[in-house]
Amino acid sequence: MLDVRGLKKVYEGSGRRVEAVRDLTFTVGAGELVCLVGPSGCGKTTLLKCVGGLLTPTGGEVLLEGRKVSGPPPGMAFVFQEYGRSLFPWMRVGENVELPLRQKDLGKARRRELVRDALESVGLADAVGAYPWQLSGGMQQRVAIARALAYEPRVLLMDEPFAAVDAQTRADLEDLVRGLWRERGITILFVTHDIDEAVYLGERVIVLSASPTVVREQLKVDLPVERDQLHTRVDPRFAELRTHVYEQIQAAKKGVVAS
Amino acid sequence: MRRPLLRLVFAVALPALLVTVWWVASAGSTDVYWPPLRTILEAFPDVWTAERLRGDVLPSVLRLAGGYALAAVVGVALGTVIGSYRRVRAVCEPVLEFLRAVPPPVLVPVIMLFAGIGDTMKVTVIAAGCVWPVLLNTVEGVRAVDPVMAETARSYGITGVARLRKLVLRSASPQIFAGLRQALSIGIILMVISEMFAASNGLGFTIVQFQRGFAIPDMWTGILVLGLLGFLLSVVFQWVERRVLGWYHGLRASARRSP
Repeated sequence: MLDVRGLKKVYEGSGRRVEAVRDLTFTVGAGELVCLVGPSGCGKTTLLKCVGGLLTPTGGEVLLEGRKVSGPPPGMAFVFQEYGRSLFPWMRVGENVELPLRQKDLGKARRRELVRDALESVGLADAVGAYPWQLSGGMQQRVAIARALAYEPRVLLMDEPFAAVDAQTRADLEDLVRGLWRERGITILFVTHDIDEAVYLGERVIVLSASPTVVREQLKVDLPVERDQLHTRVDPRFAELRTHVYEQIQAAKKGVVAS
Repeated sequence: MRRPLLRLVFAVALPALLVTVWWVASAGSTDVYWPPLRTILEAFPDVWTAERLRGDVLPSVLRLAGGYALAAVVGVALGTVIGSYRRVRAVCEPVLEFLRAVPPPVLVPVIMLFAGIGDTMKVTVIAAGCVWPVLLNTVEGVRAVDPVMAETARSYGITGVARLRKLVLRSASPQIFAGLRQALSIGIILMVISEMFAASNGLGFTIVQFQRGFAIPDMWTGILVLGLLGFLLSVVFQWVERRVLGWYHGLRASARRSP
């Protein structure tokens, strides 16, 4: 579904050369939910923007269903961390969700249907007529997720989407994402710095090294598909996986100091 | 019910006080140039008949409307182009700074040379003065489009005209309105000045005529009409602004509530 091959990104500017991503290769299968986790500042956002076609990589390539990504492809939707700056404050919730659909060749009735369906899926059917700034942070991020869903992407890219919401809202949103993933069978690539979140959400966790980034380890999460905040998080297997990822990330951080 | 009443009292209190002071201070005045307010108000209905409103106020207002509309369209269009492209901005900035620094009233004799002394000249003068605040504010507004919103638009394939209409102009609209507000008061000033130079009708022309004919109370009524016109236009402007920028005021109010 999604192939990342030898991805490399170097920022150059004002005499400074920063190698953010060195050499990344991984694949995401159709219908998979993969979490990317790495130490802070390891170029996760850069990586995701390259995958989404928002940044041009310095080397390597990204393939979506075999086709090279050279700009934002119509089959991908992005959910940003800064929900407050990603929704347009001059549009009501319904218009925000509908806006990307206007670029597609869809009839008005179909657009309406997609908007309603997407907002229902995130539990915000009543908020169609509200402005984003009238909603809480968690609700705004739900709207951003609904906008992505209505776009009917084959791949959903999520860039630390819950980093700015409180812990309880975050737990709800995590369950929402897992629920949507199971219901709709979309492929999700989820970037986070939160180890627990990565293990709880992902079917597979890709641990990244510190910047310049390479893949440090890929880990299959062999927890049951049915997960919930209460039981999954006290599962001994969850604790093992979490500890393992934690160790890997600690080692990744030390690796930087050593080199 | 008490709240709106209180607001009305606050709004009316100071004007009422000023009028009273004027009334009392000028009550016994025998100075020809400084007639009692009573005399001025008595002259008012005789001077500003329906015919005069049609013959002098209407032409003035139409010139103002024409020049202002022209300035708004040109200012927003050019400002959007200049604000969108860094190269264009680098080329235009010094020229803009120079042109902005030229006081608009000195343009009247110059424009008279090219555009004659008819309505074209007056509309051109008003437009030439009003365009700068609109243009410069649009440039700033367009430049300040939030990068996250811009990326959101790009990732969802919102480009070209849709991007301009749904993102750039909407996001710049608070700045554009700030420019339009400044332009409105400049426009009224230029309307009067252009009519003082060469005209056969209009508010500015009429006031100068009264002054030259030593019809001093009539001249004062003309100044009152100008003040009232300015007030009325500003009320209309505020009404339009509240409609168009409702989202912006709401957003700011919600940001103040939860910093």
